[in-house]
Amino acid sequence: MIFSSIVFIYYFLPLLLLIYFLVPSSWKNFILLVFSLLFYFLGEPKYIIVLILSCIINYFLSKLIEKRKHKKLYLTIACIYNIGQLLIFKYTDFFISNINNLFHSNIPFMYIVMPIGISFFTFQALGYVIDVYKGKHKSAPNLLVFMTYVCLFPQLIAGPIVRYSDINKELVSRTHTFDKTYEGIKRFIIGLSKKVLLANVLGEFSKSLVTDTLLASWLKPISFTLQIYFDFSGYSDMAIGLGLILGFRFLENFNYPLIAKSITDFWRRWHISLSSWFRDYVYIPLGGNRVKKIKWLRNILIVWFLTGFWHGASWNFIIWGLYFGILLIIEKLFLGKYLEKTKVLKYIYTLLIVVISFLIFNANSVSEIFMSLKNMFMLNNIPLTDKVTNYYFRSYLVLLIISIISATPLIKVLTTKIKSSKYKIILDILEPITYLGLLTLSTAFLIDASFNPFLYFRF
Amino acid sequence: MKSKIITIIFALYIFLFSILGIILKDEIISPTERRKLKTFPTFELSSEYINEVDKYFLDHFPLRDTFRSIKANFNYKVLRKLDNNDIYIKDGYIFKKEYPTNIASINNFIKILNINKSKLSPSNNVYLMIIPDKNYYLKGNDFLSIDYDYIYREMDKLDIKNIDIRDLMKLEDYYKTDTHWREERLDKVVKRMSEVMNFKYNKINYQKNVYDNFYGVYYGEASVNVPKEKLFYLTNYDIMNAKVWYLENEELTSVYNLENLDSFDSYEVYLDGASSYIEITNDNSNTDRELVIFRDSFGSSITPLLINYYKKITLIDNRYIKSSNYLDYITFDKQDVIFMYSTLIVNNSVTLKG
Repeated sequence: MIFSSIVFIYYFLPLLLLIYFLVPSSWKNFILLVFSLLFYFLGEPKYIIVLILSCIINYFLSKLIEKRKHKKLYLTIACIYNIGQLLIFKYTDFFISNINNLFHSNIPFMYIVMPIGISFFTFQALGYVIDVYKGKHKSAPNLLVFMTYVCLFPQLIAGPIVRYSDINKELVSRTHTFDKTYEGIKRFIIGLSKKVLLANVLGEFSKSLVTDTLLASWLKPISFTLQIYFDFSGYSDMAIGLGLILGFRFLENFNYPLIAKSITDFWRRWHISLSSWFRDYVYIPLGGNRVKKIKWLRNILIVWFLTGFWHGASWNFIIWGLYFGILLIIEKLFLGKYLEKTKVLKYIYTLLIVVISFLIFNANSVSEIFMSLKNMFMLNNIPLTDKVTNYYFRSYLVLLIISIISATPLIKVLTTKIKSSKYKIILDILEPITYLGLLTLSTAFLIDASFNPFLYFRF
Repeated sequence: MKSKIITIIFALYIFLFSILGIILKDEIISPTERRKLKTFPTFELSSEYINEVDKYFLDHFPLRDTFRSIKANFNYKVLRKLDNNDIYIKDGYIFKKEYPTNIASINNFIKILNINKSKLSPSNNVYLMIIPDKNYYLKGNDFLSIDYDYIYREMDKLDIKNIDIRDLMKLEDYYKTDTHWREERLDKVVKRMSEVMNFKYNKINYQKNVYDNFYGVYYGEASVNVPKEKLFYLTNYDIMNAKVWYLENEELTSVYNLENLDSFDSYEVYLDGASSYIEITNDNSNTDRELVIFRDSFGSSITPLLINYYKKITLIDNRYIKSSNYLDYITFDKQDVIFMYSTLIVNNSVTLKG
């Protein structure tokens, strides 16, 4: 089940909230856990056992670690279990394919279906165990609290990767206020609108650009970059909004990454929970930047190799990660200080790098990456534009403009200014109307997606 | 206090639609989509189950068509999109995007046409008429369309006498909300046919009957407020007394099935809609000539206007009957044979059977 679906918004969520707010506080975690497991079960019935097993094993390992005897051994077991689980479910066929290619062998594929959200809940559980080992926080008081933390449905299948230390107090005792709930509703609707009104439609646009023209070769990665930003940040917004409605305050996962001044800055703004996870659990334990230069560069490349590989079992994701790693090294070694001195160039540079990165991310093969790049930089003999490109460009132009504006903090800055001015009253009236309008519009887009005319009647 | 009121409003909004969705009686068929709606799926241990449940709720969401209309209007008026779900609206006419040109389909169409042609006798006079769909007459250069010139060029290469009607037709000859042409404006096509096929054209005064509550197939798809249209069906003595035999029900009936006027697709008034094989006999005819029409649904509305000129007209719809089957009912000998298909079928010929 996904948040941007009718069954979630109009059936699952109201039922959960009705029961959740009716039961006494002591029952709330139990209800949350039951609904979280139901949420997962409905999306992935066969693999719910993987999720539950992961919770139980990590919970008991953390308890054993806390007893201090053989704690390193238990940590090692936890690492092997979690990483092993991820490797088996996510990467088995990737390894088989590469072994077959390398050694001309014929090992049959396993065709293992990846459990939804395994990359997120594995990292969450592993981070938790490491933190208990390091004494950053105590282990969860009981299995119910721990399972509620790992299985908490708003962040279970697509993040953000919430740290136990960020919500441990709320897991035990949390407050529910109308202010917080309204804030959550607004945030959820923003996320839903980003996903349904922008990301999905940008996806249609990107897919429509099928002809090889210079204009299309640029519009395709630009629209895909916007699409993936609104898709992913929209999901995070919905997760944060649902968290607020349920009394949790998750940390932000995106902070207008497309206005970043450098790639270093971009990764401080994009998927913050993942980059900080790799920083805290891989980069710093490897020595971070407090080692010899060559080791420091190695550490950066390891982290970005893993970041790429985490995104998917395919070479283009590894190339994508290493591409950022190399660029970050270049920025840290010398480019960064030059970029800082520029006013506009740093933004253009960052956007260009990011757009190309998502071209790599979205590619089906390495050869497709090179072909697209050649088209973009006029190394192929292609026309400037054609009728098809013009048609779709014209048709999606307003959406593109809205998307670009929405990817900047412009609306946020404007509303903040109005809120502190004498026109605040206008905003107070317009705000709920706008959100209700966005919810209605998103519902309309979801419903229309199911429109399926019987095509025989055309002829 | 403000947060409290607004939170309650949002909660009521969500709960209202959830409860309405549950308590309102499920519709069985969607008139706008002309399809059966989903029923609640029986449980199965699969990740697909919840998607099926979602599809069910989507199909039965309260005010479904209103929500679709909101989306369409937002796309046209706010996002200024040129189409919504491939539907264009220009000058009150609704068009469905037909793009790109499907070369494989055109080749397949030619292949099937040749298979049918091989079943004919040398005594048959064979003709081909490719009817341009109404996108052909869409003015302006904004919209995407198939390569009509390519289609007609390919048809010209065939060894069949071609009846080209592109210069005859205008946008006004098609319904605004439907894909088809209007029967009452097709006399000029009959005249062009008579010139090529050598039958004597007469200016016939038909009685013009009207059904003024016609919403075409694109109306539901467009989801915007477009006025209803008038659908005319022409009658005279010969048409009203012609005997019509349908293979499907093996019964004699009439050229127009007026019961279909109030159905989902009023255009099915002409020869009862989709049918694989039809024989129309005009006992009042003063000629012994016979005509065989290989056709799609465009053929249904022009056929009544040909009844006066032939003793017998046989209609074969290759989407529903193969050559091996129709040969059980017809012997080809001296008839005029016309392959009459719209460009929509040529570009989507996968439905045709050889």
